[in-house]
Amino acid sequence: MNSIMAAVPLLTVVVGSLFLLILEVFLNRENKSYLGYISLTFLVICGIICTSFWNKDYSYFNGSLHLDNLSIFFYIISLLTIGFVILISLKYLFLQEANHGEFFALILFALSGMMIMVSSTDLLIIFLGLELLSISSYILAGFRLKDVRSSESAIKYFLLGSFASAFLVFGMAFLFGISHSTSLLAIVQHLQSGTSFKLIGFMGLGLVLAGFGFKIALAPFHMWAPDVYEGAPTPVTTFFSIGPKAAGFAVFLRFFHIYWHSLESSQAIFWLLWVIAVLTMIIGNLAALRQTNIKRILAYSSIAHGGYLMVAVLAQDYTSLMFYLVVYLFMNIGAFSAVIALSKKNKEFLELDDYSGIGFQYPWIGALFSVFLFSLAGFPPTGGFLAKFYVFSAAVRQGLVPLVIISVLTCLVSVFYYLRIIVYMYMKEPFHTVDVYKENPALFLVMFLCVYEVFQLGINPGSILVLIRQALISLPVF
Amino acid sequence: MIQPIYFIILSLIIFVLGIIAFFIKRDLITMFMAVEVMLNAANLAFIALTKAIGIIDGQIIVLFVITVAAAEAAVGLAIILLIFRQKKTIRTEDIQVMKG
Repeated sequence: MNSIMAAVPLLTVVVGSLFLLILEVFLNRENKSYLGYISLTFLVICGIICTSFWNKDYSYFNGSLHLDNLSIFFYIISLLTIGFVILISLKYLFLQEANHGEFFALILFALSGMMIMVSSTDLLIIFLGLELLSISSYILAGFRLKDVRSSESAIKYFLLGSFASAFLVFGMAFLFGISHSTSLLAIVQHLQSGTSFKLIGFMGLGLVLAGFGFKIALAPFHMWAPDVYEGAPTPVTTFFSIGPKAAGFAVFLRFFHIYWHSLESSQAIFWLLWVIAVLTMIIGNLAALRQTNIKRILAYSSIAHGGYLMVAVLAQDYTSLMFYLVVYLFMNIGAFSAVIALSKKNKEFLELDDYSGIGFQYPWIGALFSVFLFSLAGFPPTGGFLAKFYVFSAAVRQGLVPLVIISVLTCLVSVFYYLRIIVYMYMKEPFHTVDVYKENPALFLVMFLCVYEVFQLGINPGSILVLIRQALISLPVF
Repeated sequence: MIQPIYFIILSLIIFVLGIIAFFIKRDLITMFMAVEVMLNAANLAFIALTKAIGIIDGQIIVLFVITVAAAEAAVGLAIILLIFRQKKTIRTEDIQVMKG
């Protein structure tokens, strides 16, 4: 149904961020955290509006903005990510001298970029959403103005990000050339009808995939990720590891759902993605083994998780893809908030040596961090186990046995570096005294919510699977 | 009249030149300019294709891409300026702190 209502959740977020930008001028430095609470209010309003549109299936702007169940599901994922990131950054910004009010406005702009990406089926609109997300991210990465690492991560993300955008635009030009349109459906249909320009079309598709692969840090295009993740402020790193990935995989889901159905015979792209998935898993997990900085370990781990999500795309099983994204959201935010918990005024404890003896010194942080690491490694009864189980069993049903064997082997490798952190926390003598700033209720709220969800998704995943199946109904049927 | 296909080939050449410049230059501003060249090569391809297939959509996409490039330039130059204030240089080898 064509209705302006389809744009209401997006407008709520955009109006919210503009309002925060104006309000920021009138607040003095001590009161900046009010902006955080106001942005949370806008997120809650947007969430309520989204849930009330479930099963309504509105669209607007000539069908380029769909508010179907799938969009709403990804809206909720994005809103949860941003909500948690705002909660964990409330005290962090104050402690690490990054207390500029623009943070909350920028993060809402990034959210609106994600929302545009997940709700469109037109490549041009997706590109605009991606750029809105990316440009806000470049600024957020350099948010600690006095820290040279933060600026370095911002410039690396900016240069390589705009380099990837150029590839995306050029690929889009090729696809526009063969299909005379930027809609995903038209592009796939023209790739299918064997015209003489087929090769140009596949070249364009390859360039577009390279651009997206960069944004979600898939293997040959992952080089930027560890440096950017290490240098950026930790809540922003949390956002980078989840937000662009969720939005990128939403686009992949919409595109490959059409693609696999129309072009079963075309194997070139399938094997290209197969190689990318294998490379991502192997490089992500092996490179994490020799890292000693906790943020770099989590950066490589998030690259590896991108590989497992790619396996779900190859298996054409979108239920497991979306379930994996939901579980990944909670366990990754949990792990990063544990890292943020171990910080004090102008100092973060990020080296592995700092974590020795933490388990007995700060029992709550140690125990919760261990749960998230177990979940990331894929131990039962946590959500991480079920997520991996669904993805791998779907891949086996599709007959991708060699791919699953490689995935399981890389999972085994990943257990080593996750457990190494736990060994440091519980079985080593403290290296030096680590005194942390403890009065941070919002952060502990996030950690307890995440640990609840990690167990709930691991033990009783039924209700979320029902929601995912309802969301997937809105995909076009062939 | 010059055929559109020549413009498409020209845009490919400019795009490849942009990639080469991005990799061999060691100066943040020049690297950023290389990216702008690549984006404009894509714009040229869009315009040539619009001429070739006779649908006006391509030229509208160019307007969007120019807008995005302008927004990127604003943010990018601000980040480069921030780095210059901290380090007094914009050579890539001098600003590297983190190693992969």
